[in-house]
This record gives sequence, structure tokens and C-alpha cells, in this order.
Amino acid sequence: MYLGKTIEELHELLVNKMVTPFELTKEAIDALKKDTTNAIETICEKEALDFAKTLVDPEFDNLLWGIPYICKDNFSTKGILTTGSSNILKDYVPVFDATVIKKLKEKKAVLICKSTLDELAMGGSGMTGHKGITYNPYDSSHTYRIGGSSCGSASLCAQGIAPLALGSDTGDSVRKPATFSGLVGLKPTWGRISRFGLFPFAPSLDHVGYFTRSVKDSAFVLEVLAGSDIEHDATSSPREVEKYYSLVNGSIKGKKIAYIKEINKGIRDQVIKDRFDYCLDLLRKNGAIVEEVSLDRNLLASLYPVYMIISCAEATSNNANLDGIKFGPRIGGETSYQEVMMKARTAGFGELIKRRFVIGSYSLLRENQSVLFERAQKVRHLLVNKVNDILKEYDAFIAPCSGRIKSEFVENSDNVTDEIDIDKMIIENHLGIANFAGLPSISIPVGIDNGFPFDFNITGRAFEEVNVFNIAYVLENELNLKNLSVIKGER
Amino acid sequence: MLKYDLEIIKKCANNLMFDMSEKEYQVLLKEFEIITKQMELLGEIEGLNDVTPMTFPFDVYTSYLREDAEGECLEKEEVLMNAKDVLDGQIKLPKVVG
Repeated sequence: MYLGKTIEELHELLVNKMVTPFELTKEAIDALKKDTTNAIETICEKEALDFAKTLVDPEFDNLLWGIPYICKDNFSTKGILTTGSSNILKDYVPVFDATVIKKLKEKKAVLICKSTLDELAMGGSGMTGHKGITYNPYDSSHTYRIGGSSCGSASLCAQGIAPLALGSDTGDSVRKPATFSGLVGLKPTWGRISRFGLFPFAPSLDHVGYFTRSVKDSAFVLEVLAGSDIEHDATSSPREVEKYYSLVNGSIKGKKIAYIKEINKGIRDQVIKDRFDYCLDLLRKNGAIVEEVSLDRNLLASLYPVYMIISCAEATSNNANLDGIKFGPRIGGETSYQEVMMKARTAGFGELIKRRFVIGSYSLLRENQSVLFERAQKVRHLLVNKVNDILKEYDAFIAPCSGRIKSEFVENSDNVTDEIDIDKMIIENHLGIANFAGLPSISIPVGIDNGFPFDFNITGRAFEEVNVFNIAYVLENELNLKNLSVIKGER
Repeated sequence: MLKYDLEIIKKCANNLMFDMSEKEYQVLLKEFEIITKQMELLGEIEGLNDVTPMTFPFDVYTSYLREDAEGECLEKEEVLMNAKDVLDGQIKLPKVVG
């Protein structure tokens, strides 16, 4: 009865005592138990209901009071199983809360579930978690994927079970699944939200992100999650947190928005092409100046291999602590501590991430560093410089999240691809630009085709989240696609 | 650049303290072929010598003095609770010296 509502809508009901946090939580947990998309690692039933019971006096100025939320299973949650969807952590119970979990607890939001992901967030298909494939709730035939790595959070939010689901985004892991599930997916500026307690994958690219079903909800959540956390995360920014929620008003008059010709060349579906032109017209109608710009095609095509080298190299060192000693499986029969580690890591890691670790290790060998790792870092620098040059003149750029509205499951789709179609390679990987440069980036639903939603993405200057929120807000209002979910019958 | 082969790849895996099946190594060899080809192409991008390797998106400047206050500390039970083999308040491992 209360499923499929936004944070703002639920808040109204809560403060007017039309529903209690306990009732909301109970309904959400009942819905979780009916999930058919394999999106759940752990339902926090007892913890959630016990906490919700304590919430009696509504907080009028706190939109998150009593709101159920979902969390990707790579955030530390004290006393609650946290697996990273990996067998090496299948029994791991953290002893502290991630900063974002702590902040949501302080705001009295109710954690109801830990959701599945591609193993340790190192995939983009939603197929490599230790529990198997997570499916797209918009596709009961299980033919088309939801994408990853934040697959479980995307699925459960798109099912309307909770209006907020935390994810992480190293290459596009929130903003890409957002398009296949018709959600608002935000990755703010690098350092805007503390990463303390998020399992690190590649810290120079890692971001906390999240899904909501409206732009205003997204803005309010950022107000809560953003801020300095200097004692725990030295990369968290000391900049003042803006009042994003009240600053989101759809004012884009005079804003300059670019679209990059070389990205759009990869669009495969005519529906996306037409919608893109339509959205540009809407932005112009609202006073924005929209222009085409060009960016070196070879540089854009380099995104994928550069991402692979940098992320895999950083991942090797970040996962060195998964050793089967302090935590993780102990296989038995070992005669040395090295054997304890070898056996635990051999049995505990899935095939894909082992291969990624080896790629990272190889690129870090002394003989290879200059031609692999450092070259990748230099190409990253060149690309970031070019993108920041565009953003000197424009407030943001807009692009489709994918060249296609839906994407079929393909076996081994997370393997390194020998992609010869450069245009496809660019459009399917360009969201990584915002990770390379640390820019705020939001995916926003813009259309539904034959029951499948799809998003466009808006990326702006570092720490100028307000601009990307406002551009997204204009499209949300003009297109009337706020609060999409499966249960609302939009499928 | 060090030429990759099965031996080097296995060494890399073992340095990372895990092993893989022969089939997995074969898939990886194929991935290496693709990646090195792609990385060679990257070498042809103009202007590479004009930039430094980028290790982070941008600098985050912070300047503060930490309060001289007691920090957070885990209890012994908390530290040990996820270890599979514990004896007398310590994590147990096979003997290091015989």
C-alpha cells in the first residue's frame, strides 16, 4: 500500500501519522521476501523492525525519518553480515558502521536489506556475485540484464520496495544500472561523500552513489550523506555542504549544456536518438543554451583499456587484506600461513576477479609499469584535461547512458573485450569519464520503450551538483517520468 | 615490457596468493593479448609526454590539527570474532618455525 512512493511522499504520510515507520518497514520486508530477481544478500528483519518500533515522534524537518532504505552489500554494517557478494567474505560480520550508514542511522532511516552486487563491485553485468545472476524486474523473461555492479540495489529500488538504495560507482556501477531500471542514479563529486566503510576497489575512482526515484529525493539524500570525514577518509572534502534540496528548483536559464558528438555516434536505437533530440529541445525551451562539441575519438576509445589497467592495479593492493586469517574461510590442512592464504583466496575469489587481479599485478611489475600503468595514468590525465576544457565553457554535458535501451545477458560479458566497434566501445564506457575526473554525474529516466525504461546522463563541474540536479529536474518535470517503478504498472 | 606467457601469469597469480585452473589461465592469456594490443594503441595517442600520470582526480586540500583525544579502538572480542581459528585470545596459524 505504501510501496512505490518517494521519500517526499512517505514523509508526508509519516508526519501526518497516516502510517508509522514500523508499518512501512513491515510492508517493505514482506515485499523483499517476494523478490524474484535474486537481489538480496541479507534481510535485516529483526534489526529493522526493532529500530522502527523506537521511532515514535515524527521529525518534520527530516525527510529521512522512518524511511526504509537498502544498502549494497559492500558497505560495512555493524553486526550485520556483509559479504561483498564474494565467498571470501561469506561469513564476515563487520564491527563498525560505514560513515554513510552512521549518518543514515542518525537521521533515523531504517536499513532493511543488504543487496547483491557483482563480486566485490568488480563487474558491470550483475552476473558475477556469489549468489548468481541478479535479474531486471522490468523483464520477467530474464533475458535482459539490469547491469552492475549495484544490481541488487537497482532492482529493489525499481520494485518500489524502498525509495533509497545505496550503491558504489567506480566506472558507472550506479549510473549504468539506473538506465536499465529507470531510476535516478547519482554519483557526486569525488570526495563529496566519505568512503569510510565502503569496501575499496580502486580508490582513485571509487565513489559512494545511490538510487532514488526522484531528483528532489536525490538532492536531500546528498545533503545528508555529504561532508568532511577527515578522521576516517582523508580524501573527503572539507567544502561546505550546500542546501541541495532547496536549491533544486529547475532554474537552468542561461546555463550552457554540451553534448559530445563522438559519444552519440554509438546510439543504436532510433528511439534513443529521437528522445535525445526531444530532450535537447526541452532544455532549450527552459532557457538553456545547448551545443554540440567534439572530443578526440581515440582518447574516448581509450577509456575502457585505461579503466581496466588502473582499476585492476589499484584493486590488487586493496584486496590484499582478504587473507583467510583475520576473516574469510579457513579451508583446513594447511602447514604454513602462506598456505592458509593461498587456499582461502583460491577458493574464496571468483574467476573474474582473480583474472582482474592478475591483470593489475602484471601492469605493476617493474618491467611493465611505464608502458602499462603509467601510460594508462597519463592517458587518463589527457582525457580529464580535455573534458575539463569543455566544462570551462559549459556548465554540464548530457549523453545517453547506453547505446541501447535494453541489453541481453551474454555469457562471460565481463571478460575483456576485443571490441572493434569503436563507437560502441565509446558509448558503453563513457560514463567512466566522471570517475576519471571525479565529476558529479546523474542518470535520469527519460523514456519507456515497450515496457523498458531508459535514462540519460548529465555530468557537471566538480562540486557543482546543483547544476546537474537542476538540469535533471527540468527533464523530470517536462517528461513526467518521476517515480518510475515496476509496481506502478509502467512495465 | 615483459613479454607475457603462461609462466609469468602464473607467477603473478601466485604472488597475489591464489591459483587458478588451467582453463582460467587460458582465458586470461586471451585477455592479455587484447589488453596489450589496446595499450600499444594508447602509446600512439599524441601529447602523452606532456602530461604527468594522474593518480587522483584532483587534490583535496585539508589542514587541521587533530584533537589530542582518545580515538576509537576495537575490543579484543571484536577483532577476533571473524577469525576462524582462535586460541587463548589470539588468531591461531600453523607453526612458523618447526
